[in-house]
Amino acid sequence: MLSYTEKIREIAGRLLQSGAVEMVIGFRAGTVPMMNEPHFAKTPADVQKLVWDSHCGINLANYLTDRKEKIGVLAKGCDSRNIVTHIIENKIKREQLVIIGVPCKGMVDKRKIAMKAETEITEVIEAETTITAKGHGFSKTFEKKDVLQHNCSLCIHRNPVIHDEMVAPPVVEQQGVDRYADVRSIAAMTPEQRWKYFEDLLAPCIRCYACRNACPLCYCPTCFVDESRPQWVGKSLDPSDVRTFHFLRAYHCAGRCTDCGACERACPVGINMRTFTKKLEQDCLDLFGWEVGLDPEVRPPLDVYRPQDPNDFIK
Amino acid sequence: MEHMGIEPGRLQFSWISSAESTKFVEVVTQVTAAIKALGPNSNFAKKMAEVA
Amino acid sequence: MSEWEPKIAAFLCNWCSYGAADLAGVGRMEYPPNVRVIRIPCTGRMDPKFFLAALREGADGVWVSG
Repeated sequence: MLSYTEKIREIAGRLLQSGAVEMVIGFRAGTVPMMNEPHFAKTPADVQKLVWDSHCGINLANYLTDRKEKIGVLAKGCDSRNIVTHIIENKIKREQLVIIGVPCKGMVDKRKIAMKAETEITEVIEAETTITAKGHGFSKTFEKKDVLQHNCSLCIHRNPVIHDEMVAPPVVEQQGVDRYADVRSIAAMTPEQRWKYFEDLLAPCIRCYACRNACPLCYCPTCFVDESRPQWVGKSLDPSDVRTFHFLRAYHCAGRCTDCGACERACPVGINMRTFTKKLEQDCLDLFGWEVGLDPEVRPPLDVYRPQDPNDFIK
Repeated sequence: MEHMGIEPGRLQFSWISSAESTKFVEVVTQVTAAIKALGPNSNFAKKMAEVA
Repeated sequence: MSEWEPKIAAFLCNWCSYGAADLAGVGRMEYPPNVRVIRIPCTGRMDPKFFLAALREGADGVWVSG
């Protein structure tokens, strides 16, 4: 995965030089370890800042919404599916994009590493399958597969679904992954237990909306949380307001969420709000046989009516 | 809804034609009975600040 | 207060159930008084935020009818 960086710089440099694109969206190293930030490369000097490692979890499709210029964009499996969703929803045109596919082996969850570290981590060194975190008088090596983001460990679409260039040959997709164990464990609870479970889950929420901002699906000019006439959801930390927010946010992602994990990654208090979207993802798969963002030509199930759509819930 | 712990049955759907007033009465009765059986919606309702 | 009675927010389609409700009224039929009818132009107007808002504001149940 580390060898990707050179190849990415080469492709980005070539695309910019030939004038095929006006900018390339990728990642550069962040100011602290494990926090790569999005990078918009427009000049050869910018290109040299592009990097790729296991901390590129931000979903770059988020930066494509309503852009007018020609853009080269790096795309992991999940990014590429969100790009497909963007194309379906007319947020960007396919012709504007040069998609640089990056076969992905999963991104590392910085919290998992930070939790096992005794001090603040000041340096992180990555090898092919391991990752070493160093701090003041401290050094520890982890197997990457043990510290992956939860959604990455369940991912079955690691390779980009659409691409114009590839930085490496496709990686082997994970087989036999049980993607919905979490959903099932909640389904086994009684309504009271579920209520309690989500109350505890959402208790630390500070309503910063980082999950919404990190999400490539959330591009409404005015979000429902900011509407005040009528006000759909209060702005307080009242549990029912918090719950309404998370509930509606999840609903808006129904049939669109690729489980890229950007929301969970962005959350400053570590709430796993994927618990909501995961359920909707499973429902879409069970009820409509739908997996998000695999083909720009197919309309999503909530867009189209089919006579065989399930309707048992109606009296 | 149910996933989040709101009781199934708090939300009901039906399909009634504008000519089916009898069905309307029937369904209203059913829905009311179902929700009555569930009891008050104490979980989701926003609690007003209690003033002494 | 004798017995607890639920409050139900009923979202009725203008062309279907609302018509049926009207007809029931014209026909002087009797039905439980627990529903608070909200007329929507079409069931397609229904939005998750409506029933969340209703529940949050204290409704005990929500009924959507097309």
